[in-house]
Amino acid sequence: MIAFEHVGKRYGGRYEALANIDFRIRRGEMVFLTGHSGAGKSSLLRLIMRLERPSRGRVLVAGHDIGRLHVSQVPFYRRQIGVVFQDHQLLFDRSIYANVALPLEIQGVEPREAARRVRAALDKVGLLHREKALPIELSGGEQQRVGIARAVVNKPALLLADEPTGNLDPQLSADIMQLFEDFNRIGTTVMVASHDLALIARLHHRVLRLREGRLVADEEAA
Amino acid sequence: MSRQEVREPKRGARSHRTRTSSRLRAWTRHHRAMCLDSARRLIRYPVGSLLTMLAIAIALVLPAALWLTLDSARLLDAELEESATLTAYLASDVDESQAVRVNEALQTQDGVVATRLITAAEGMAEFQQALGLTDALNRLDGNPLPASVVITPRDTAPEAVRALAGELESITGVEDVRLDLAWLERLRRLSELGQRLALALGALFGLGVLLIVGNTVRLAVESRRQEIEVVTLIGATHAFVRRPFLYSGAWYGLGGGLLAWALLTLGGEWLAIPVAALAESYGAHYDLPRLDALGSAVLLFSSTLLGLLGAWIAVGRHLAEIRPH
Repeated sequence: MIAFEHVGKRYGGRYEALANIDFRIRRGEMVFLTGHSGAGKSSLLRLIMRLERPSRGRVLVAGHDIGRLHVSQVPFYRRQIGVVFQDHQLLFDRSIYANVALPLEIQGVEPREAARRVRAALDKVGLLHREKALPIELSGGEQQRVGIARAVVNKPALLLADEPTGNLDPQLSADIMQLFEDFNRIGTTVMVASHDLALIARLHHRVLRLREGRLVADEEAA
Repeated sequence: MSRQEVREPKRGARSHRTRTSSRLRAWTRHHRAMCLDSARRLIRYPVGSLLTMLAIAIALVLPAALWLTLDSARLLDAELEESATLTAYLASDVDESQAVRVNEALQTQDGVVATRLITAAEGMAEFQQALGLTDALNRLDGNPLPASVVITPRDTAPEAVRALAGELESITGVEDVRLDLAWLERLRRLSELGQRLALALGALFGLGVLLIVGNTVRLAVESRRQEIEVVTLIGATHAFVRRPFLYSGAWYGLGGGLLAWALLTLGGEWLAIPVAALAESYGAHYDLPRLDALGSAVLLFSSTLLGLLGAWIAVGRHLAEIRPH
């Protein structure tokens, strides 16, 4: 599903964020990406989301070298990936429903079909009853679940999450991770960047460990 | 959730036709939604929107008014050209019956459409009436005015009229043929200058409208920065992001155009009475030019277009700056 082939990323010619990263993730796998902040987790995710291009090597997603995608194709590529952000990136001037519907609106999905899918996604994260609320009325954990609903409403084959439990207490974090595992169980490839080592250790999935821009460990699921 | 392939971006072969039509429907749906949404945003901040539109309107009024004035001057010019005539003054020893014969001779000339004989006595009467100097003229011994013939030429172009005048002068009994075309030419040059001025002003103020709309849209883009970042992250195309701003620009332009139209109409009404009175005092009849249906349509269309263009430029520049992080 994802292949990094000797990928390097430099910023401004000097600072080396990633060096010689080489790994493969199979379809349907669930993988944690871990390391201290500044180890290169976000840079790696940005490469998969095609927010950046690698300075060296190739990044392949579903067999396509995404570094070579034309600018005009990038939006269509991004529609096939679900992304969950640490700071949710919700739009605070519109309802939960509208936030989750946003990816479908962008793709021009028929409103009736969109409504069906939005409700299914909200139901999945347990927030169907709050669809008319504004994000500000929700707790941090609920906001993150809205972010997850938005990421999966489009049924992506690949789900990325950048520190999804960053600001949550252990119980909420465990609940969020449980959601990711649920999606993984029905076939979605999931990649979660997190530095919550205790939580990761309990979940028994493959772990990619980054240190100073290098892949220092690739531990298969126990 | 079903298991799904990551597709080749952009297109798939299956049911291409239904997909195209549904994409078209989605496209028009989004256009409609953004058109209404941007109008709602404008209405939500009525004072700010109105001020922007007023600024646009003021920038449009000046060139539009100048253009209107010139348009009416052009009509006037055409009328004057049609009324361009020559006056043949007959020798002072030509008596009335001879004058009639000269008139007939002139009438049969090539290039002459019509003639009108003004006898010495008629000339005197006209002169008196025009100047109101009855007493002074009555004190004169005889009539110092010669008989004259007013000639309407077929071709009113200056060169043709000049050539005709030369021919007519050779007819016996005609002493002098006068044509006063210099002022006509001057007027034409003046209106040409005015047209260029209107064009330059139009271009300048059009640029002003672009800047006004551009600046307003720039602020709107800035205030919706987070939204733009989010939708870009989840796969919005540039066109999708640009659309609401383009509609706002078009709305600003249309609103400004409508206000400009109102200002022109009201201003016209306000000036009409004094202008008519002024013309009356010169013994003339002059109506202030008004925007007709076509003129109004041109005004509204171009203001909307300018708004759209201003928004386009501003959004294009600022979208390039906004990159998600």
